[in-house]
Amino acid sequence: MSYIRRVSATQKIAFYVFLITSVTITLFPFIWMLSTSVKSPNEIFTRAPTIIPRHWTWQHYWNLFAALEMARHMLNSIIYAFGTTVISVLFNAMAAYAFAKLRFPGREKLFTLLLMTMMVPGQVTMMPVFLILKYMRLLNTFTGLILPGTAAVFAIFMLRQFMLEIPEEILEAARMDGCSEAVIFFRIMLPLCRPIIATLIIFTFIGSWNEFLWPLIIMLREDRYTLPVALANLNGQFNTDWGLLMAGAVIVVLPAIAVFLLAQKHYIQGIAAGAVKE
Amino acid sequence: MLASHAVGAQSSPRPVTITVWAMSAEGNLIRRMADRFEAENPGIKVFTQAIPWEAAHEKLVTSVVADMAPDITQMGTTWMPEFQKMGVLAPVDPETARDPVFSPSRFFPGALTSTMFSGLRYGIPWYVDTRVIYYRRDLVAEAGYPKFPSSWEQFHRLCVELVRRNSRPGRPTFAFTLPNNDWQVLLMFLWQNGGEMFPHGASGDAFAPGGLEGALSYLKSFFDEKLSPKDSDRDNNSVNLLSLFETGYLPIFISGPWMISEIQKNMPQMAGKWATATLPASQASISFIGGSNLVLFKQSRHKVEAWKFIRFMSLPENQLRWYEISKDLPAVKAAWKTPALASDPLLLPFKIQLENAKSPPPIAEWEEVAEVLSRVMEQVLYGRIPVGEARQAFTTQIRRVLDKPSASQSGLFRLLVTIGLVVASMIPLFLYFGGGVKSKVSEKFPTVPVWFLLPAMCVLIVFLFLPVLATFIASLTNLNLSGLNNFRLVSYIGFENYLRLFKDPVFRMSLRNTLLFACLGVPLNVGLSLFMALVLRRKFLRWKPFFRIAYFIPVITTMVAVAMIWRWLYNPVYGLLNIVLAKLSLAPQAWLTNPHLALPSLILMALWKGFGYNTIIFFAALQAIPNALYESIEIDGATSWQQFRYVTLPMLRRAMFFVIIMTSIGYLQFFAEPYIMTAGGPLYSTMSVVLWMYLQGFKFYNIGYASAMAYVLFLIIFLLTFVQRKIHARIERTIG
Repeated sequence: MSYIRRVSATQKIAFYVFLITSVTITLFPFIWMLSTSVKSPNEIFTRAPTIIPRHWTWQHYWNLFAALEMARHMLNSIIYAFGTTVISVLFNAMAAYAFAKLRFPGREKLFTLLLMTMMVPGQVTMMPVFLILKYMRLLNTFTGLILPGTAAVFAIFMLRQFMLEIPEEILEAARMDGCSEAVIFFRIMLPLCRPIIATLIIFTFIGSWNEFLWPLIIMLREDRYTLPVALANLNGQFNTDWGLLMAGAVIVVLPAIAVFLLAQKHYIQGIAAGAVKE
Repeated sequence: MLASHAVGAQSSPRPVTITVWAMSAEGNLIRRMADRFEAENPGIKVFTQAIPWEAAHEKLVTSVVADMAPDITQMGTTWMPEFQKMGVLAPVDPETARDPVFSPSRFFPGALTSTMFSGLRYGIPWYVDTRVIYYRRDLVAEAGYPKFPSSWEQFHRLCVELVRRNSRPGRPTFAFTLPNNDWQVLLMFLWQNGGEMFPHGASGDAFAPGGLEGALSYLKSFFDEKLSPKDSDRDNNSVNLLSLFETGYLPIFISGPWMISEIQKNMPQMAGKWATATLPASQASISFIGGSNLVLFKQSRHKVEAWKFIRFMSLPENQLRWYEISKDLPAVKAAWKTPALASDPLLLPFKIQLENAKSPPPIAEWEEVAEVLSRVMEQVLYGRIPVGEARQAFTTQIRRVLDKPSASQSGLFRLLVTIGLVVASMIPLFLYFGGGVKSKVSEKFPTVPVWFLLPAMCVLIVFLFLPVLATFIASLTNLNLSGLNNFRLVSYIGFENYLRLFKDPVFRMSLRNTLLFACLGVPLNVGLSLFMALVLRRKFLRWKPFFRIAYFIPVITTMVAVAMIWRWLYNPVYGLLNIVLAKLSLAPQAWLTNPHLALPSLILMALWKGFGYNTIIFFAALQAIPNALYESIEIDGATSWQQFRYVTLPMLRRAMFFVIIMTSIGYLQFFAEPYIMTAGGPLYSTMSVVLWMYLQGFKFYNIGYASAMAYVLFLIIFLLTFVQRKIHARIERTIG
C-alpha cells in the first residue's frame, strides 16, 4: 500500500465510491431503524418499503413516552451504566498498575491465570453469581446489579498493555522525589492512561447500557428496571409493534452514540497503544 | 394527635398487599383489572408487575430460587408441569375448589387439563388461545370453495388448486404456510389423525400406535408438492407473513387469535377479503390449546386474598372485561355467550375449535421434549429421516431426554465430595504458584501491590473464580431445575455428563459448526478489517472520523434492530439479496433455511456487525508505523505489494496477534447471531456450542450438563490459544 506515491484523480474517485458504498452498507440498518420509527404501521407492512417514509409520524415516540416512565428507567440505566463504568475503570486500573509497574512474587503467573478465565463462556457463570448475590442479600439492589461487573479481566489486560509502554523513568523520577505509589498512580499514571481509559469507558458503558438479562434477573421491582428491560415489556408474546420497538431502539442507542462520539478521539489512540505492543 | 392516629388504625386495618406478575403488555393492562378489584375489596391492595415475555421463564425460575416469587403469577400452560414438579405451586384447596366459580365444567376442557396433576388442580385458566386457519376468502372462493374445506383430503385439493390458479410462469406461489419445525403443528396434525403422545405417562411409549406416520406424510406432502414453502419464516408473526398474505402469495396460514387484531390494525384495506376457519380433520378437527393460567405460589403469605383476586378474574363478566381490554380469549365458557364474542364471525371458529383443542402431556421436561419433536419433525420434512423411521427417531431421542442419570446419596457424602473437589481443585493452583512464591515469602511480601490488587481481586474471586469453580463442581452433578430449588435433590454422577456429551449428536454438530464458524469467520473478519484500515489510512482521504464512526455503528447498534433488518435482507421472497440476484438473472436462495447456506449467512452477518471493531485497532496500529520506513523502501523501488509485505505486515504483527486471539475467543463463543436469527436451525446447521449450552442451561435447566459443555469449550479455546501463542513466538524468533 503506497503511502507517499501520487494518487491520480480516477484512483481517488474509485476510493470514494468504494468508501461510500461500504459506509452505506454499514449504516443501512441504522438508518432503517430511524426510518421505521417514524413510519405509520400501515407503511411498515408494505411489500416494497421505502427508506424515506411517505408520511412522517411521531406517534411511536409519543406512545413510548405514554407507556413508560421514561425518566425513571433512563435514570436506572444511567446509575447502572455510570456506576459500573466509573468503579470498574478505577478497580481495573489499580490492578493493571500492580501487574504492569509493581513487583511482587507470582505476578506473571497470576496474570496468566486471569487471562485463562476469559476463555470460560460468561453465560455459564450467571447462575452461580446470582446465587452468591442471594446469599449476600444483594438481590434487587443497585449494589448487587453493579458489583459483579466492577472488575473485568479484559479491561485489566488492555490497561496493563498500555501501562507497560509508559517509560519507567517517569515513575522512577517521581519515586526519587518521594511520591508514594498512590500519588504516582493518581497524579501520573491515570492522566497518562487517558486514551485507554476512554476506550474502556466506551466498552463498559455500551456493554452495561445494552445489557438485558442481568438487570432483569437482579431487579425485582418494575421501578428499578433499566431501559432495555422496560422496553422489552412492550412486546407481546406473539405480536410485535415494530414502530414502537424501533423508536425504543433509537432512544437506547442515542446515548451510546453520544458517549462514543465524546470519547472517540481518545478512544482511537487508546486502543492502538493497547494492542500495538505486547 | 396520638389518639386520633390510634382510632384511625383501629377502624381501617392496614390493607394486605398481594403481588401479581403478568407478562409484557398483559402485565401493564392487568392494572386496570386490579384497580377494579381494589375498589370492590377495600382491604386488599394489588401490586402488579410486568415481566418481559422473552425472558419470563428465566425471571420466574430465578425469583423462585431467590425466594422472591410473587403471590400470583401468570403462567403459560406449557410451563405448568416443570413448576409443579419443582413443588412451588400451591394446589387449589378443597374448599376453594367447591366454589361454583371454579367449577371444572365452567372452563374449556383443554384449558382445564393443563392445570391438573395427579388429580389435584394447580392454578385456574385465565385466558386461552388456540390455532385456527386464516385464509383469503376471495381467492379460496375463486378456487371453487365458498366454504372452507373441513377434511384433510379436500384441504389438500384446495391447496393444489390455489397454486395452479395463482402461479405464473417463473413466479411460483404457494398455498399454505406451515412451519416445518414447530411441535405445536406436529401435535395438532397428530391429534387430528387419531394419534396421542405418552398414552401411558412419561415412562411409557412416546406415541400411541398409529396416527404419527399418517400425520407426518400428510404434512410432508405439502412440502414435497411445493404447496408450502420450505423456507417459511421461523417466527410466524412477522411483517413478512402479512404482506405475503395480502399479495396472495400465501393465501392460507395457521395462527392464533392475536392475528385478528394484527391484520385489522395493520391492513385495514383487507377487510372482508379474509376469514377464519376451524382446522381440517382426518378423524377429528383438533387444535392445540395454549394461553395462560393464574397460579399461586406456595410461599405466598396471603393465600386467602390471592384466591379472592383469582376468583375475581374468573367471573364471567370480568373475563369479558379482560377480553375488551386485551383481546385475550376468555377461558370461561359463559363469557362467550355475550354478543361481542358470540356474534363475531371471525371468532366463531375459535369458539368451536376451543371445545376441540388439547394441551400437551403434563411432563416436567416438556420444553426439552418439545425441542426434540420440533427437530425430528424438521428432519423428516426435509427428507433426512424417512417417515417410516420417524417413530424410532422420536422415541430414541425422547428417551435420552427423560432417562437422566441420578443417584441417591446421603447429605454427608455430598458434603465430603464437595469439600474434596474444592480442595482438589486448589492443588493445581498451589503447584502452579508453588515454587515462585515460597522462596520469596520468607522475605517481606510487598504490601503496596496488595492494596492495588485488593478491590479488583476481591470482586474477581467472588464473582469469577468462585463461579468458575462452582461450574466445574456442577458439571459433575445432575443439577437441574428441581435441584436448583432444593440442593438435597442434587447428586454426584462423576463424569457422566462428559460421557453423555460425546454421545450427543447435537453437541457434535454444534462443535463442528463452531469450529467452521471460527475458521471461516476469523480470517474474513481480520482480513476485511485490515483492508479497511489500509484504505482509511490513505493520506488524501477526508472526513476520516466520519468513516471510522460509520464502520463502528454496527458494533453498537442493538441486536434487535440488526436482526430485523437482516431477516428482511435474507427474506427468500422479497429480501434485498434475492432482488439483486434476480436482477443478475440468478436463482433466488433460501439464505436462512437452506442447511448449507444458513451458517455462511450468519458468518456474513457477524462479519458486518464486528469488523468495525478490529478496523479501529488496525487503523491505530498503522498510525504507529514510522513513515521513514516506507520512504526508504520506496526509494529502493519497491511496489505497493512489497511495501505491504516487508513493512506493513511485519510492523503489524503484534496488533495482528492480539486481534487474532481476541477475535478467535469471541468467534468460538458464537451465540447472539444464531440465537436471534435461526435458533440453531435448520437441521442444527447453525447450532453453536454456546447456544446449545445456553438452551441446556437456561431453557431445559440441565445445569450440570451445560456446565460440562462450558468446560469442554474452555479446553478447546485454551488449546487453540496455546497453539496460536506458539506460532506467534516462532514468528517472533524468525523475524528476530
